[in-house]
Order: sequence, then structure tokens, then C-alpha cells
Amino acid sequence: MTLQHYLVISAILFTFGIFAVLTRRNAISILMGIELILNSCNLNFAAFSRFMTPPEDISGQIIAIFGIVLAAAEAAVFLAIILAIYREFGSIRPDEVDTLKG
Amino acid sequence: MIVPLISIILLCPLAAFAVFGLFSLANRRFPRQDYLSTVAMLAALVCSFLLLREVVPTPEPHTVNWISLGGVTFSMGFYLDSVTVIMLIVVTLVSSLVHIFSMGYMHGDPRYPRFFAYLSLFSFSMLFLVVSDNLLGIYIGWELVGLCSYLLIGFWFEKDSAANACKKAFLTTRVGDVGMFIGMMMLFTKFQTLSLYGEGGIFAQAAAQLSTADMVWLSIAGVLIFCGAIGKSAQMPLHTWLPDAMEGPTPVSALIHAATMVAAGVYLTARMFPILTETSSLVIAYVGGITAIIAATIAIVRFDIKRVLAYSTISQLGYMMLAIGAGSYVAGLFHLTTHAFFKALLFLGSGSVIHAFHAMHAHAHDDEHEHAHEHEHGDHDAPGHEHGEDSDSGHILGSEIPPDQDMRNMGGLRRKMPITFVTMLIATLSISGVPFIFSGFWSKDKILAGVLERAMEWNSVHHYLLFVMTLLAAGITAFYMFRLIFMTFFGEPRNQEMHEMAHESPLSMTVPLIVLAILSFPVVNTLWFNKDYVKPPPQPHLHAPQHAYLAPDSKTGGQSVALSLFGVSEAVAAEEEGGHDTHADDGHHGHGPAHTIAMVLSIIVAGSGIFLSWLFYHRRTLSAESVATTFRPIYNLFWHKYYFDEFYDGVLVALTVWKSRLFAQFDGSVVDGIVNGVGTVTRDILAAFVGIFDNRVVDGLVNRVAQVTWAIGGKVRRIQTGAIQTYLFVVLAGIVLLILIFRAL
Repeated sequence: MTLQHYLVISAILFTFGIFAVLTRRNAISILMGIELILNSCNLNFAAFSRFMTPPEDISGQIIAIFGIVLAAAEAAVFLAIILAIYREFGSIRPDEVDTLKG
Repeated sequence: MIVPLISIILLCPLAAFAVFGLFSLANRRFPRQDYLSTVAMLAALVCSFLLLREVVPTPEPHTVNWISLGGVTFSMGFYLDSVTVIMLIVVTLVSSLVHIFSMGYMHGDPRYPRFFAYLSLFSFSMLFLVVSDNLLGIYIGWELVGLCSYLLIGFWFEKDSAANACKKAFLTTRVGDVGMFIGMMMLFTKFQTLSLYGEGGIFAQAAAQLSTADMVWLSIAGVLIFCGAIGKSAQMPLHTWLPDAMEGPTPVSALIHAATMVAAGVYLTARMFPILTETSSLVIAYVGGITAIIAATIAIVRFDIKRVLAYSTISQLGYMMLAIGAGSYVAGLFHLTTHAFFKALLFLGSGSVIHAFHAMHAHAHDDEHEHAHEHEHGDHDAPGHEHGEDSDSGHILGSEIPPDQDMRNMGGLRRKMPITFVTMLIATLSISGVPFIFSGFWSKDKILAGVLERAMEWNSVHHYLLFVMTLLAAGITAFYMFRLIFMTFFGEPRNQEMHEMAHESPLSMTVPLIVLAILSFPVVNTLWFNKDYVKPPPQPHLHAPQHAYLAPDSKTGGQSVALSLFGVSEAVAAEEEGGHDTHADDGHHGHGPAHTIAMVLSIIVAGSGIFLSWLFYHRRTLSAESVATTFRPIYNLFWHKYYFDEFYDGVLVALTVWKSRLFAQFDGSVVDGIVNGVGTVTRDILAAFVGIFDNRVVDGLVNRVAQVTWAIGGKVRRIQTGAIQTYLFVVLAGIVLLILIFRAL
């Protein structure tokens, strides 16, 4: 397993994430896409840390762990916002929530 | 010890005033302002007595630098010589007694605490003036006492007459102060300092640098500084404010307008003693002499008890000025202190009498306020009053004197008010110069002797003339003072109703009277008899005249002229021969011929004054009315106070008013016309043009910008779809685009 393998997997995850965020018609699915993107980042951090720095330096891995924690918190906030939107608009489809339309 | 003691003396009354001020800021009153002020004053009094021991023969000023302007440094400091310490004691003593007296006199006044606060402020200012070693400090104290005088004369400002009187006092003294300031500036430009004492002080520099060519300049400076004293000490021609100042409460008259502030002018003149020249001395002496006579003659015909005392004060201040002008430094200041005590006593006594009648009025009018009732009367000497032609019997003016101050309502009070009577009698005997047991005799005698001695020594006709003036004033003084006593305390009560109600004053008022009466005896003024304690400063710029006026050959000639002038027998002259060569070391002579002559003459004139007064007002063998009718023009002159007020009113005030009217008209027509014209032109022509420009060009520009922005906004708003995923897509596309661009680069 070389660095390239990890990066390729990370890129695939990132692309899936972006695809989900841009195309899904359900806010929950968008959240899942965002999670994918975040995890692809975490994977990159861990991989670069493993292959590019001396073994005793594990700062990349630690940042990945922070990223996971962050993602959990972000998911909570996101879900809360979705609940609020649902109460307001009776839907969680992002294309139906267009109050800011110019 | 000097500096801390003086600091305590100054800070005590200041603190008492500050307490009042601080409480006033919070809209409250200190519960016992009267006790606070009185205790502060008593503390200052004790410290003044402690200072007596600190006096040294050649004192040095204690100074600190205050302000530096360019190369000039103004210093502030204290100077303590024997005169300072005596002045301190006089001021604190009289002030303390007046405080105590006021507790009784002002009791129940709605502004009772404020009165004591003002008294404290005044005491501070006066003490500051006394201890200052430089002209700047003296000037600051000078203006502060002027302010306090203004506040206290106008203390009952509901009365129009009091409000007018305080303005008059303030403005009249200001006239003199301007002269004083110019004089100070003359000294300053010459010597680059305002300090009087010490190495670089004015006196030292003047003695060292000035030549005879500078004497004219120095004389002018001296006379200008004396102008301040003319205003403050109510000398002619600026004396008119002092009688009107009697509108203030009587304790104020006693403290400020009899004992201390008006004496500040004398004190200043005495402080300037070392730089007086022959000319300025003579001017001072003449102003004093003329004032003494004029004021005394006016006092003869007054019926208001307080105004008699006011004119008496002016007259006595003239005496002191004359003494200092004639070189009798010690005598002048001696008379200042004795006068402070007996005149304060006379004023407080008159206050006691007025209080007795006041109480009657308060009773008769139920709970009407003291001064609310005075309001009905007042306005006695207010400017602008036309007295009738036939006012010689005084009945026309009678209605204008408050009845409780009118001596024609009094009489026979000695049984009703024994303490007031006895104390006032002592003061009267003192001011009249009744020999040997009263202080006034000694100080007055010292002045007479000093003037006569100077006259003999210089053979100067001026000083002989001044001597005659002093004698004349002394006689008149004795006359009108006993007139006051006879009219007030002797004879039958003239107003039975008022007499019934009169009563002796409370203890707080009689105790100060008794203390002051004790002070009217020479026993307590012994410091002045100590030749070494108070010494006149040298006068380096004063020289005996080159030519003798009367007898050019010898001094003896002059003396014999003097003796024949005053009708003293040749025997006395022979007996005193040879005694006249004593140098005029300012009244510290023993019993020279001048002294004996002066003493004999002063006893004679005082005795005849008292005797005449007795004939007129007690025995009534002579009728004052008939004499008045006989000498009607002279009587009218006295009655109208030499028409000073009429003159000021008719000329100065009228001129000012006329000038103001002229300026007002000029303002109304020319200045306003120009302003209005400019206004019209601006509004109707310029503004129209500018308005068009504004509406078309400026507004057009602004509107156009707004329209363009509006149109662009209308087009651009379509971008904002509100769909998040579209935005994200655009962002992503942007990033991809950027990556491609950077790769290509």
C-alpha cells in the first residue's frame, strides 16, 4: 500500500461526497455527502502523516481524530437546522427552500 | 512655625466656606454652618496670637514660585512683620466677634447659613490680602474682598435698594481698582517683579536703581496704586458707595465696611510706604484730609443711625490716609486698629438698637420676615432720588429712612438697653478723642502730632493746612458722634410705641459689644506704644523740600508761625524750644513741642465739639433747626452730601445712559440695517441661485447615480436563485476553473 492508494480512495470518497451534495434532493442525503467529504479529508491527513513525516510525528493522525469529532458536532448542528427548516417550510428539500431568491 | 501658622489661619475660614460650597453642590445645608464658621474664625484668632512671638526685626518673605511666564516668575508667599501680625489679630478678632454677634442678629433669616459662609469667605480673603508679600497676592485678596462685599451688601437682594447698593459698591471700587492695576503694571514693567520684599523685590530695586529722574514716574505709579485705596477705602471722590453699602446687614457693616475691608486701602497705602515720594505722599494726605472733613460734615445732618456711622467711617479712613501721606506710618496704622475696634463696636451697637426695634416690628406685623418689612422702606440714598428744596427739617426724607434706623424715632434708650448704651458710649468717647483713658485719643493724637511735626520740620504750608484739616475733622467728629448718642440714648422717647417694645439684645449680641468696649481702652493696644515693635520702613524716595515755604531761614521761624497760627502762647513755645530738632521718626518722638501742642489742641476741639453737641441735642439751649435755617445753603450742601450722588447721577450715569442710547440707536439702525440688508440679499438673490443649482445639478447627479444603481441591481438580482445546490455547484465549478487556470500557467 503506497500513498497513491490512499489518495485515490480519498479522491473517490470526495467525488462521491460532492456528487451527493450537489444532486440529492434530500437534506439528510446532503449531510451524508458532507460527511463523505470530511472523511476523505481525514483520510488524506492520516495518509500524508503516515508517509510523508517521520514515524514519531503523529500530528496528522491527531488532526484526523479532531476532524471526526468536528464532523459529529457539525452533524448535530446540521440536523437541528434541518428540524428548524422542516418546521418552517414543511419540507426538507433544499430546492424548495428558496426564500433568499433574488 | 510661621508658614504652618499662617496656613492654618488662612485655611480655617476657607474650609468653613468650602464645606458650605460642597454641601450646596449636593443641594443640602451643613447643619450648623454658624458654629463651623465661628469656630474656624476663633482657631484663626488663636493662631494669630501665636504668631505674635514669631515676629523678627528684619523679616524675610516666605515664598514659592507660582507661575513662570517667559523669563518672569511670579511668586506667591507670606510676609510677616509686626504690622502684618497686628492686622491679623485685628481682622480675626473683629471677625470672630461679628460672627458671634450675627448668631443673635441674623437669627431666623432664611439664608442664615449662607451669611456665615460669606463671612468665612470674606475673612479668608482679607487675611490673604494681609499676609501676601507681593502685589499680585494683595490684588487677588483685594478683588476677593470686593466680591464678598458685593455679596454681603446685596445679602437681602429682594430689596431693590440693596441690589442697587451692591452693584454701586462693586462698580465704584472697580474704578479705583483699574488705577491700581495700571500702577502695578507700571512697577512690573520697571522691575519685572510684583514681589515687594526681599533681594529682588520692588522696594529693594527701587531703592537701588531709581534716580531723581524717575521720581515723576514713581509718583504717578504711587498715586495710581493709591487709586485702588481710594475706591476700597471710600475716599473722595469714590466714597459714595460706602453709605449705600449700609443696605447690607449690620454685622456686615461692622466687619467689612468699618473695621477690615475699608481699612485694606489704608493697609495697602502703608505697604507702599517705602516707594512714596513727596508728591504722591502729598496727594494721599490731601485726599485723606479733604475726605475726612467732607464726610464729617455730611455726618452732622444725617438721621439714619447707620449712615452717620458710615460717613464717620469715611472720615476716619481719611484720617488714616492723611497720616500715612504725612509720613506718620505708625500713627496711621495705630488709628486703623483702634478705629477697627471702636467703629465695629459702634456698628454692632447700632445693630443692637436696630434689632431691638426690629423685634418690635416683627411682633407688630406678626410673622412677617425681617427684611420683607424693610422692603417697604429702604431706598434712602439710592441714586436718582430728588430731595425737595425745603428738606432742611428732614421730614421729606424722613419717610425714606427705615423707621428702626431713624434716630428721630429713638431717644431715652439708655434705660431700656443699658449694655448697648454703655458700650456705645465708650466707643463714642474713644472716637471723639476724650483724653487719656480711651484708645482713640492716643491714636488721633499721634496723627495730629505727626502731621504737626512734619509741618514744623519741613516748614511746609501744606502740612500746616493738613494739620488744620485734622483738627477740624476731629472737632466735627466729636460733635456728630455725641449728637448720635444724645439723640439715641438720652432725652425723652420720641416714638412711644416703639420705645415700649424696645428691649436689650440677647447675650450673643451683648458679649461682643462688651469685648469690643474693653478693646477701646489703650491698655489692650500697648503694642503700639512699644517703640521697637512697629517701626516705619525707610522712605528712600522722600526728601524734605529744597525750599522752605514759610520761613526760609530757620526751623524756629516755622515753629513760631505754627504757634501763632494756632494761638498758642509764646510761653509754650519758649518752654518747648529746642525740642523740635528730633527727627520725625514717625510718631516715636517723646513729648516734643508738636506733641504737646497737638494734644492740647485736640483736647480743646474734642471738648468744644462735645460741648456744642450737648448744647444742641441735650440741653437744647441752641436749636439745630434754627441754625439750619440760618445757614440754609451750607445745610443743603451737607444734606445733599455735596451733591456727589447728584453729580454722578446727573453727569456720569446720565452720560453713560445717553451714550448707551446713542449706541443702541446706532445698533438698531445702522448695524441691524447692514445685517438685515445682507440677510435680504443673501436670501432673495444668492439663495435663489444656489437653490436652482442645488435642485438641478446636485440633485440630478445624485438621482442619476441612484437610477443607474437601481437598474443594474434589477438585472443582477436574477443570479440569486435561492437554491443552495446551485451555489455550491457554481463554487465547485469556480474552483475547478481556477485549478485548470493555474495548471495552465
